[in-house]
Amino acid sequence: MENIFIILLGLSMIYIASTSRLAAHVNMLIAQGWLLFFVCLSGFAKEPWFDITIFKGFESIIANVTHIWGLLFVFFETLVIKGYVIPWFLKKVIQKTHAHRDTDANIPHFYCLVISSIILFAGFLAANIALPEFKMINPMYFGVSLAMIITSLWLITIKHKVLSNVIGFITMENGIFLLSLSVAKEMPIIVNLGVLLDLFIAVFILGMLIREIDNEFHDMEVSHLSDLKDYEYND
Amino acid sequence: MINLILLFPILACIILKYSKKEFLNTWLINIYATLHVLTSVFALLDLDFLPFWKSSAFFEINNRNIVFLAVMSLVFLAVSIYNNGYLKSEIVSAKKLRHYTYMVMFFVLSMTGAVLSTNLGVSWVFIEATTLASAYLIYFHKTKHSIEAAWKYVFICSIGIALAFVGIILLTFATGNMNSLFFNDLYLNASSFNPFWLKLSFVFILFGIGTKMGLAPVHFWLPDAHAQAPSPISALLSATLLNSAFLMILNVFGIMTTANCDEYARLMMLVMGFLSIFVTAVFVYHINNYKRMLAYSSVENMGILIIGIALGGIGAVASIIHLIGHSLIKASFFLTAGNVLKIYSTKKIKSVGQLLKIDPKTGWLWLLSFLGIVAFPPSLLFLSEFLLVKTMFQQDRFIMSAVFLILLTIILYGMAKAVLKMSFSEGNEEKIANAKLNVKTLDWTMYLPQILMLTLVFILGLYLPEYISKFISNTVVGF
Repeated sequence: MENIFIILLGLSMIYIASTSRLAAHVNMLIAQGWLLFFVCLSGFAKEPWFDITIFKGFESIIANVTHIWGLLFVFFETLVIKGYVIPWFLKKVIQKTHAHRDTDANIPHFYCLVISSIILFAGFLAANIALPEFKMINPMYFGVSLAMIITSLWLITIKHKVLSNVIGFITMENGIFLLSLSVAKEMPIIVNLGVLLDLFIAVFILGMLIREIDNEFHDMEVSHLSDLKDYEYND
Repeated sequence: MINLILLFPILACIILKYSKKEFLNTWLINIYATLHVLTSVFALLDLDFLPFWKSSAFFEINNRNIVFLAVMSLVFLAVSIYNNGYLKSEIVSAKKLRHYTYMVMFFVLSMTGAVLSTNLGVSWVFIEATTLASAYLIYFHKTKHSIEAAWKYVFICSIGIALAFVGIILLTFATGNMNSLFFNDLYLNASSFNPFWLKLSFVFILFGIGTKMGLAPVHFWLPDAHAQAPSPISALLSATLLNSAFLMILNVFGIMTTANCDEYARLMMLVMGFLSIFVTAVFVYHINNYKRMLAYSSVENMGILIIGIALGGIGAVASIIHLIGHSLIKASFFLTAGNVLKIYSTKKIKSVGQLLKIDPKTGWLWLLSFLGIVAFPPSLLFLSEFLLVKTMFQQDRFIMSAVFLILLTIILYGMAKAVLKMSFSEGNEEKIANAKLNVKTLDWTMYLPQILMLTLVFILGLYLPEYISKFISNTVVGF
């Protein structure tokens, strides 16, 4: 079951690569938040304690408090932050700055489609190498997360609007989140919480800076941000 | 005491938020700096007045980080003294000033957390937090250029640090059945780690945290951010932030040495180190902005630090000596650059002239900081660079030492050209007429910290007490 969600995550990256509407990108971020939630949930479903009965009665809640805490945290991390708060914030930025499309990318969208598909395929190939080191990881998680990270980094380099760069950064973080699920180990909750907080504040600060860039330069082209140089330079 | 310096900034920000008194801006920073120094001094003397506040699972002062903490305290104290005079002459609204204070507090808090943390994940979180806290400070002047610098800084560093997190995840692959990211556990079990994943994770962590540390080829944010930030912040960025990223690389390198994968790690660090020095040598030669020149010099010195660790043995000790010297001198250099900027209101080397005649104190500090940073003999950096070259000779790396010395000489020439021009040449007449009036706005607090730091560095260069060298060699034990 979880493989379907993971493949959909990979496909969402292809969609992001091949469309230019920023609103569609943000919608894909919402979709990725939900998909990550389902991936986590199907991971929990394999655990013996995973049952609706743990919520029945005060005593079973006390007995399973660590599991419930983990569930709540995943719910908060994927659905609330990644699936709601961040997209809502980005949509607000789009409305304020009236930037709806990222046109004139360095590479036409059709080629983007082809290249991102190749990256996804390469991710699967890399994950299925028959090295003894790869035995302990789940190839599906590993391949798709690798492809997500690489596609995001590549998209950041070719897109022209600063907002697209931020979206690329968030999809990369989603890829890293998936990678951390590929080995059956949990980070301490304080680390997870810190990572989430950092991601959230980073997006918040980048969003604020986008508004400032828009005020100062009247659009969000990356090319405006190339004035600081070493040789011919005035300040 | 640790908890005190981790909790005080939060408390101070709450007080400031509700009282809104103007004098609190500088005083809270001063108090925090004093507490920071007291904590370091007590740690160095192995005393603790609040022992029950010492232990916490995620933070501790140990042999590895005590030098970093002490250097940070010292630089922060100097910057906070300078800050008193700097903010007096800066015309900003009360609200903006309060934001500045909050952010300085959080910036230092996050660096302290990164230095003291005993867990790889927690130190990652704090390193990322330093980026977020200092973004506003770089953007403080709200010009087009500072937006650009802040954007590049947050974006490049966040991506770099995200890649470092990939490295941490790969490290958990390497650890096998162990489920802990505490450095002590990692060191204990390092010999049983899977070398394939361990090496791969080191690549990601070195590049990711190397971004933050300012190593070439991922240093691009550094000259922009250092040049655009207000001068006290540039000093903090260069003299403490880069060190705290360096400490994290050092900690991960410790795992590599225990796991016997260090041969490969050393090679990568050498390549990045020499690339950093090379990049500086290329760019500093024709530079026309003096704050950018200092920023490139930071790239160079970070390269030297990582080369020292890569060489190992005495080289690693030299690297820590270099770290102390570089932090103190570079902080004083950046603070003096702040004075120069106040006097001439330009960052262009071409427009600045007769610095020694117009303000002899700033002029001499500028020249002495320059002599310190290029390792003129009584400087502490002379000792460290001499030890580094000696280590290279001992390891029969003659070509490497020749390249090292040639690149350093080119950098010396490039910087000397700019510094001497600023101190002695005629300069732009219009700017100089204004400059004479601006000198009067400088406060005594804008000279004192540099004098103290430079004196300390030159004294340590002549005589490094046994007591301090013990701490230095403890930092890199086993490398």
